Amino acid sequence: MKTIVELENVRKAYRMGKVIVPALRGVSFEVREGEFLAVLGPSGSGKSTLLHLIGCLDRPDEGKIIIDGLDVLKLSDEELAELRLRKIGFVFQFFNLLPRLTAIRNVELPLLIAGVSDKEARERAMEMLRLVGLEARVNHRPTELSGGEQQRVAIARALINNPKIVLADEPTGNLDTKSGWEIVQLMKRLNEEEGQTFIVVTHDPHIAETADRILYLRDGQIEGEKKPRGGKA
Amino acid sequence: MAWESLTQRRLRSSLTTLGVVVGVATIISLAALGEGFRVEIKQRMQEGFELDVLIIIPGSFATGIGKFTPEDVEAVRNVSGVELATPIITIPDAKVYTYEENATRLKAFTVSAVNFTEMLKLLPHRLNATLEGEIPSGKENDTIVLGYKTCVFNDTEPIVHVGDNVTVQITGIPFNLTFRVAAILEKSGTSGLTNFDYWAFIPLNTIQEEQRTYNLILAKVDDPEKSEEIARSIENNFDNPYSISILVPVAFMREVDRILGFIQLFLTAIATISLLVAGIGIMNIMTVSVMERTREIGILKAIGAKSRTVLALFLSEALLVGVIGGVIGIFAGYGLSYGLAYSLSRFLQPTQQDTVFRQTETQPMELNPVFPFEWILIAFLFAILVCIIFGLYPARKAAKLDPVKALRYE
Repeated sequence: MKTIVELENVRKAYRMGKVIVPALRGVSFEVREGEFLAVLGPSGSGKSTLLHLIGCLDRPDEGKIIIDGLDVLKLSDEELAELRLRKIGFVFQFFNLLPRLTAIRNVELPLLIAGVSDKEARERAMEMLRLVGLEARVNHRPTELSGGEQQRVAIARALINNPKIVLADEPTGNLDTKSGWEIVQLMKRLNEEEGQTFIVVTHDPHIAETADRILYLRDGQIEGEKKPRGGKA
Repeated sequence: MAWESLTQRRLRSSLTTLGVVVGVATIISLAALGEGFRVEIKQRMQEGFELDVLIIIPGSFATGIGKFTPEDVEAVRNVSGVELATPIITIPDAKVYTYEENATRLKAFTVSAVNFTEMLKLLPHRLNATLEGEIPSGKENDTIVLGYKTCVFNDTEPIVHVGDNVTVQITGIPFNLTFRVAAILEKSGTSGLTNFDYWAFIPLNTIQEEQRTYNLILAKVDDPEKSEEIARSIENNFDNPYSISILVPVAFMREVDRILGFIQLFLTAIATISLLVAGIGIMNIMTVSVMERTREIGILKAIGAKSRTVLALFLSEALLVGVIGGVIGIFAGYGLSYGLAYSLSRFLQPTQQDTVFRQTETQPMELNPVFPFEWILIAFLFAILVCIIFGLYPARKAAKLDPVKALRYE
């Protein structure tokens, strides 16, 4: 199967005042199209940094990142934004919905940014909310939704532009076990039905076990890799 | 998006918008009052002077007042652009009395010998407005036309009527002349040259031709816009340019109009300061808003919004404040104008002190705001411009935010 994400010796450090904190210290791996990958590691291991780099929110200090055949380092800020818009969907731990917008407005936002007409955006957002099982909640604002529901809205938003890659940063980290599990099942289902590549960053081994492959990240380096029994071949 | 963002911060947005409203309303009302004032002054001046009539005086400050000869009148008449020129003889120390035993002196302080037919052509509006009778034809001798206040005392009945005789005493003429009243003019109400309230007119042929020297020539021009040119041509017909002075009402009007225009501009410029203050308010609020919404901006960027999309979003919020504030401001400006006009009008009434004997009764000043479309447009566009300029800094700040940092922002 085609490689969709490729990282080669990626390094990234952050400056915290006068101290330079290395977040990633030479990370290399590949993700195949349609794969459900879990990145497992304790907090501070560089998981979020890794996700931000793959999600083109940031650039590496060193190394190479290829997303769907495009070398991230060679793209301008505008082109990166375009890449995020068309090819990448984000799901965050704290949902990151816009509090002032209703569920459906949140979901249609990427379409509106992409310049899709209001009417079409509305229809597609509606369809997407139905897909994540929230058709009864379209006109609620985030504060009127439970954590699990908010995360479903976030997933619907991540998928609305039909991206090739969905990046999830601790998607269950702020949910109770039951809702968290439902979210994982939803992502698995979408991965199987829609065929998108999922990269899920988590520190929860149970969730990681549902993936096709697990990468273990510690202190900014990949320590190992495992294929759980539950995953696809 | 921009609308949702504004409506959810209702108090803050409305206060910001209020700043724009006040700014626009102030500009519009000051411009409207300035324009109204200008129109009023202009109208009064038009009433006081006939724009197409040049007033030609013999002499100047340099030479002192002289006299015109019939040849001078002819010279003025021959200038191209002069439709009609008529001389006036002002008779010094003439006194007019009622024709009776205990004669009452009429308040005709200026007695002039004129050509009635020509005067009527020159100042038709003025001389056709009569209380009684009408201006006699040139052929009639021994007739007199009286100004309103010469014979109407304290706004009651005139003490003489059309058809009555009056006597005129002229210094140097040993006997009294008798004239029949042909017309009594309406009250003029204006100040300026054509206030004939205290004038009496007698026919020019009362004075023998060989004795005639004229104090004044009135010249009607065919095109008031060319008044200055024509005045120059008239001057050129005289050997000594100081021997005549020409009052050109149009030029005078233009000058006054220019000064009033400048005052209006000055007032409006002051008003624009209030709009600038509103702009600073917008900048302040938006900067705070950008800080508060840092995380939101991070989210927008994460889901693929380009920097310029974020910029456009924040600018459109500023623009919306400008448009809403501008529209409300226009209406508020109309209201404010009428309010100000009403309260200011009270201060503009002439004081009724009769310190000057001949003071004319001027009509109370009326201040009506006039709304020139271009000023409304300027105020509106300026409001929008201010909003965009002051919104630009915070909007750029928002657009430049690093998405990763913005997402971490608590």
